[in-house]
Amino acid sequence: MTAATLAMQPAPRVVLQYRDVRKLYGDFVALSGVSMEVERGQVVCLIGPSGSGKSTLLRCTNALETLDGGELLFDGVPLPRDPASIRKVRQRMGMVFQNFELFPHKTAIQNVMMGPSTVLGLSEQQSRARAEALLVKVGLSDKAGNYPANLSGGQQQRVAIARALAMEPEVMLFDEPTSALDPETIGEVLNVMKALADDGMTMVVVTHEMTFARRVADHVVVFESGQIIEQGPPAQIFDAPIQARTRDFLGHLGWDA
Amino acid sequence: MDFNYDPVLQSWRFLLDGLQVTLLLSGGVAACSLILGTLVGLARRYGPQWLRVVLVFYIDSMRAIPVLVVLVWIYFALPAITGWNLPPFWSALFALSFHLAAYVAEVIRAGIESVRPGQVRAGLALGMSGPQIVRKIVLPQAIVRMMPAFGSLLSLAIKDTAIAAVIAVPELMRRADAVAGQSYAPVEVFSTVMIIYFLIIFPVTRAVDMVYKRIAFLGRS
Amino acid sequence: MNLDWTIIPASAGALARGALITIALTVLTMAIAVPCGIGVAMLRESRLRPVALLATCFVELFRNLPIILVVYWAFYVMPVVFGIAFSPFITGLVALSLNNTAYNSETFRSGIKSIRKGQTEAALALGMSEAQAFRKIVLPQAWRRVLPVLATTWVTLFKDTSLVSVIAVGDLAHTAMQIRSQSFRVIEMLTAMAAIYWLLGYPQAKIADWIHKKFGVTE
Repeated sequence: MTAATLAMQPAPRVVLQYRDVRKLYGDFVALSGVSMEVERGQVVCLIGPSGSGKSTLLRCTNALETLDGGELLFDGVPLPRDPASIRKVRQRMGMVFQNFELFPHKTAIQNVMMGPSTVLGLSEQQSRARAEALLVKVGLSDKAGNYPANLSGGQQQRVAIARALAMEPEVMLFDEPTSALDPETIGEVLNVMKALADDGMTMVVVTHEMTFARRVADHVVVFESGQIIEQGPPAQIFDAPIQARTRDFLGHLGWDA
Repeated sequence: MDFNYDPVLQSWRFLLDGLQVTLLLSGGVAACSLILGTLVGLARRYGPQWLRVVLVFYIDSMRAIPVLVVLVWIYFALPAITGWNLPPFWSALFALSFHLAAYVAEVIRAGIESVRPGQVRAGLALGMSGPQIVRKIVLPQAIVRMMPAFGSLLSLAIKDTAIAAVIAVPELMRRADAVAGQSYAPVEVFSTVMIIYFLIIFPVTRAVDMVYKRIAFLGRS
Repeated sequence: MNLDWTIIPASAGALARGALITIALTVLTMAIAVPCGIGVAMLRESRLRPVALLATCFVELFRNLPIILVVYWAFYVMPVVFGIAFSPFITGLVALSLNNTAYNSETFRSGIKSIRKGQTEAALALGMSEAQAFRKIVLPQAWRRVLPVLATTWVTLFKDTSLVSVIAVGDLAHTAMQIRSQSFRVIEMLTAMAAIYWLLGYPQAKIADWIHKKFGVTE
């Protein structure tokens, strides 16, 4: 699509649509009929106990897992199945992993340049310029030449965010981005994510950080045993949950609903 | 006990030539087994199913059969079957490389498999293709992780060349045996040669270890 | 090319004896080299510096030599040092044991070192003595690290026993080569030799793989 046609037909409001999504691992039902929507510019937080299917849903979104049932629409189009088209779709989504998954043999800036140079085919100069700007954005311009081994967890995760942003994605997927971090570095990562949300980025965030979800999310989805038990604005979920199980879950975390 | 080092001193030129052959053969075996082993290792990991079966059979067979047996078979039996007569040096180069390549292939495979699956996922999430991920993410890390194992295989390559004495390749071991036989001073000759081998192999092992310690972080995801 | 495979059944007895000697060499060497390896590993950790240094020199020397050279060396040096002649079998056994003791001591040392210090500290915190902590906490965990490596060493040793054939130990390789030079049935004998080694070595390699899978620790 060229810029002109984009301007003529407004982009669809709903970016991601999940219709009765199912996923099995052998006999284990990871997702048993999940339906939800993510609108453009929205921050959607997926919360719930470990193993409840949140991360699986995120990986299905990026076609790292295939669906066993239901439909997943990205910009109104079902996720393709052939590798080449899947790659095209993935280029439009950024993903941030729990364990950062920075490439250890590349410096911070080389990590950020990896996508633009190998996938988008930008020149060395262009990708470097883009990477430098993004490292400034995540506050790590002084660490550009460091290898991941010489960065703290929080710094590594911020580089990972910059690496995903370097593809100029339409959606950012965060898979428990702060779970592997030392408590003192969680804040710096959440601040970067908050700034991203304020810029209007569409974000799907699997998280255990309830304060972040409460403060930043437009929409919160509560998972349990592969199902959505409740979804709504944060005020509803955190202050006046309808479902007893939501209240139980939040209560276990020490959250007083 | 009286030691008589005259025979060693008198034949130092003869032994030095042997050392050259040893080093040449070691280098040749290291290079050939690295190339062949890398091809086998990659094909065993990414190749079609039928090829994998064949290669696993080759690898496991080389792990089961002594290198001496491979060597004498290729030197004595192969010419009898095919009619090609390879000189001892080339037979040794071929046999030792053929044997060692199986070990190289195993190291390559283990190195590739030791790269965490999350790294591949991170590449996929960026929209990279399979070959791009292998070339830019998996292999560079795997090579770093394989270094210690390659170091032991390199020293094994040097050690294996001594076995070529059995088919009369005029390398250090063979010449030591000859000098020992003529001079009636085998203890001195073999002890000297032992030190020479140690002085070659030990630094190789150490150097690889030291380099690895400095770059290990490049492979640690 | 005329092949006469009847040489194989005709030499079956001799080959079987050779194979038995090969297996005996493997088993005996390991039986010697495991306790000796543990001993050397402990000497390396000795508080007496000269003892530790000597042990380290022994290990580094024999790890970094071709085994075939050690076999020749033992063949010539042992009679001089001890003043009596040894049978080729004993000589071969000594050479293989020297080499494998060096390897095993490294295996044990790194196996024990791989257990995190916190494990010993936790045991000491429970009121165990140093010896108890080592025996009850460190050793059982170290075994898991050591066993797969020992299995690999075993298979390598089995193959390396063929190298003692150069000093006329009547092992499988030597026996087969002897029959070859007497009968001139080169292809048949050498192929049979390779096949017998394969039949004996292949299952060992597979068992080693299985041990790696069962006990191997992935980081």
